[in-house]
Amino acid sequence: MSGTAVRQAPQQKSRSSAPWLIAPGVLWMLVFLVTPILLIVYVSFWTQTTFKIEPTLTLQSWKAFFGSDTYLNSLWTTVRIWLIVLASTFIIGYPTALFVGLFVKNKTLSTVLLVICVIPFWTSFLIRVLAWRPMLGKEGAINILLQKFGIISQPIEALLFTELSVIIGMTQIYVVFMVGPIAFMLGRIDPNIIEAARDLGAGFGRIFWKIIFPLSLPGVVVGAIFVSVMVLGEFATAAALSGRKVNLLGNIIVTQVGSLKWALASVVGVILTIVMGLVIAGFLRIVDLKREL
Amino acid sequence: MTSQQPVFRLEGVSKSYGSVTALRDITLSVNGNEYISVLGPSGSGKSVLLRVIAGFDVPDSGRVVLEGRDITDVPAYERGIGFVFQNFALFPHLTVFENVAFGLRNGKVPVAAPDVEQRVKDMISLVGLAGMEGRGVHQISGGQKQRVALARTLVMAPRLVLLDEPLGALDANLRHRMRNELRAIREKLGVTFMHVTGSETEALAMGDRVVVLDHGRIAQFARPDQVYGQPATPSVAHFLNRYNIFEGELSGKRFTGPFGMIDAASVTPADKPACAIRYDRMKVEEEGAPGEGPAISASFVASEYLGSSVMYFFEAADGRVIEVEHHLSLGQPQSFEPKRRYRLRWKPEDAIVFGRG
Repeated sequence: MSGTAVRQAPQQKSRSSAPWLIAPGVLWMLVFLVTPILLIVYVSFWTQTTFKIEPTLTLQSWKAFFGSDTYLNSLWTTVRIWLIVLASTFIIGYPTALFVGLFVKNKTLSTVLLVICVIPFWTSFLIRVLAWRPMLGKEGAINILLQKFGIISQPIEALLFTELSVIIGMTQIYVVFMVGPIAFMLGRIDPNIIEAARDLGAGFGRIFWKIIFPLSLPGVVVGAIFVSVMVLGEFATAAALSGRKVNLLGNIIVTQVGSLKWALASVVGVILTIVMGLVIAGFLRIVDLKREL
Repeated sequence: MTSQQPVFRLEGVSKSYGSVTALRDITLSVNGNEYISVLGPSGSGKSVLLRVIAGFDVPDSGRVVLEGRDITDVPAYERGIGFVFQNFALFPHLTVFENVAFGLRNGKVPVAAPDVEQRVKDMISLVGLAGMEGRGVHQISGGQKQRVALARTLVMAPRLVLLDEPLGALDANLRHRMRNELRAIREKLGVTFMHVTGSETEALAMGDRVVVLDHGRIAQFARPDQVYGQPATPSVAHFLNRYNIFEGELSGKRFTGPFGMIDAASVTPADKPACAIRYDRMKVEEEGAPGEGPAISASFVASEYLGSSVMYFFEAADGRVIEVEHHLSLGQPQSFEPKRRYRLRWKPEDAIVFGRG
C-alpha cells in the first residue's frame, strides 16, 4: 500500500499537495478549539481546594455539581430560558421574515428592511441590554405609558429584574439572527412555484404549510442554531436584567472563575458544551443543510 | 366532443402595463381537441396573453369565455385551465408522486385518498414516468421534470392547458423528442393545448393552428402551412425567419424595390409596402448570365452547411443580407467566390407583395 502510494506521488503532485491547503485551518482549530476543550475536560477532574488547584484527578467537582440544587436549577433555568427565547424569536421573527423575504417583491426594499433590522447592532451589546432598564423599570417608559393611558393604576414591578425581563432582553437582541436566515430562504423561493400551487387550487393556508414553510425550514434551522448557541452561552443579559435572580450556566462559570474555582467552572463548561452539541445535532437532524443550501 | 366546437374564446381583450400596451383587442376562438401554438418574438405579448387566459392577470377590457361561460372575473384556480411554467416550477421538496398529487390533495375540491392514488398513478404512467413516483425532483432529468410538470397540470383534468415556452429549458436534442411526446400526450387526452413559443420551427411543427402575435395584436391565425406559405404581414414573414423582405413603394400592383420594378399578381393587405421572397425560392446565377424575371445582384459573403440544405449569405448594394437556401435533394451545393457579385433570381409568382391594395 505505502509502496504504491509513494510511486504514484510524483504523478499526482497537484492532488497530493491539496491537503496542505487546509493545514492552516486545521492548525487553527487544533490550537484554539480542540486543545482548549480537551484542557477544560482535563481541568474539570483536577482537585480543587480553597486557594489551590492541583492536577490530581478526582470526581469531586462533578459530584459537587450534580449534588447541588443550585447548580442543577441553573441547568434547568438555562434550558427553560433557551426554549422560551427560541420560541419567542421564532414567533416574532418568522412573520417579519415572511414580510421581508416574500411579500416585499422589490429586492432593494427587502435589503433595506434587513439592514434596518441590524441597526441596533451599531451600538454596543451592553448598551442594548442596559437600555432595557429605563424601559422596563418601575418608573420606566412602559409603566409611565400604561399609567398615562389609564390601563394600569399601579406600576407593574414584575417587568424588571425578573425572568421576564431577561426573556424580553434576549428576544430583542437575538431575534434578528432568526429573521436573516429565514428571509434569505424565503427570498429564494421561485414565485412561479407559489403561482403553480395557486393554479392547482390551493388556498393561502395550504400553500403556506405545504410549500412556503417546508422550503423555509433550512432558514429556520440555521436561525435556531444561531439563537441557541448564543442564548445557551449567555450571562450578561441575565446578570444585567435579572438583578442576579436568574442564574444561567454562563453566570455560574463567571462566578466560579471570579473566585478562582477553575475545576467547577470547567465542569459547567463541559456540561454547557455537551448541551450545545446535542442541540445543534438535534437541529441538523431536521433538515439536510448540505443539500438545501 | 367534436373538434369544431369552440371550447374557448377571447373577445376584444386588451391589457396594458403602465404606458406599455401588451395586448391590443385580441379576438380568438379555439376549438376543442386542438393544438394551438402561439408564436411571437419577445415583447410581442405572448406570455401576457397566456397569463390573462390563465387568470394570473386581469385584462383591462374584453371577455374571456371558456365553454360558453364568461370567466373574465373568475380567479385562476376556479377556471379549469392548467398552466405549465417555462421553468416547470416543480415543488422542490416533494417527490414526483407528491408533485403530481398536490392539486388533488390541496385543491378546492377534496379528492378521496384512494382516488388520488389511482389518478396520480395513471397520469404518471401516461407521461411515461412509471416507477419514478418516489424520486425527488432533484433526482430526475430535464425531460422528466417537463413530464412531471405536465402530469401535475393534466391530473386536474383541465379543459384547456396553457404551456409557456415549455421546451425552452430543455437542450436541443430533448426538445425535439418532447415535441412528439407533447403532441402524443395531448392526443391521448383530447384536451386543447395552447403552446407559447418564440421558436418558429416549434410553432409550425406542433400547432394544428398557429397564432402569430405582433406587438400585442394577432397578425395571423391559420394552419402552419398557410402561415408558412402565405404570411399575412411582413412581420409574420420576418418571424418565420424564412423570408428575405424588401421594402419599397407600391402603386397599384406595381412594386418598386431595390431590385427594380415588378408586377404583383396579388397584393396582400398590410400597413407598409414590402416584398417577401422565401429563402429557398431564390436561385443564384452568374452575373451577366441570360435569365428571365426579377433578380437582384449581390456579392457572396459566406455559406453554412445545414445537413439537408446549404444556406448562402449575400450582401446587396444597400448592405442588407440576403439569404438563399439550397436543398441538397435538388443537387450538389454550388461553390461561390467571396466578394464576387452574383444575380439572385426568383419566379414572379414566388414574391409575396404586401401593401395597401
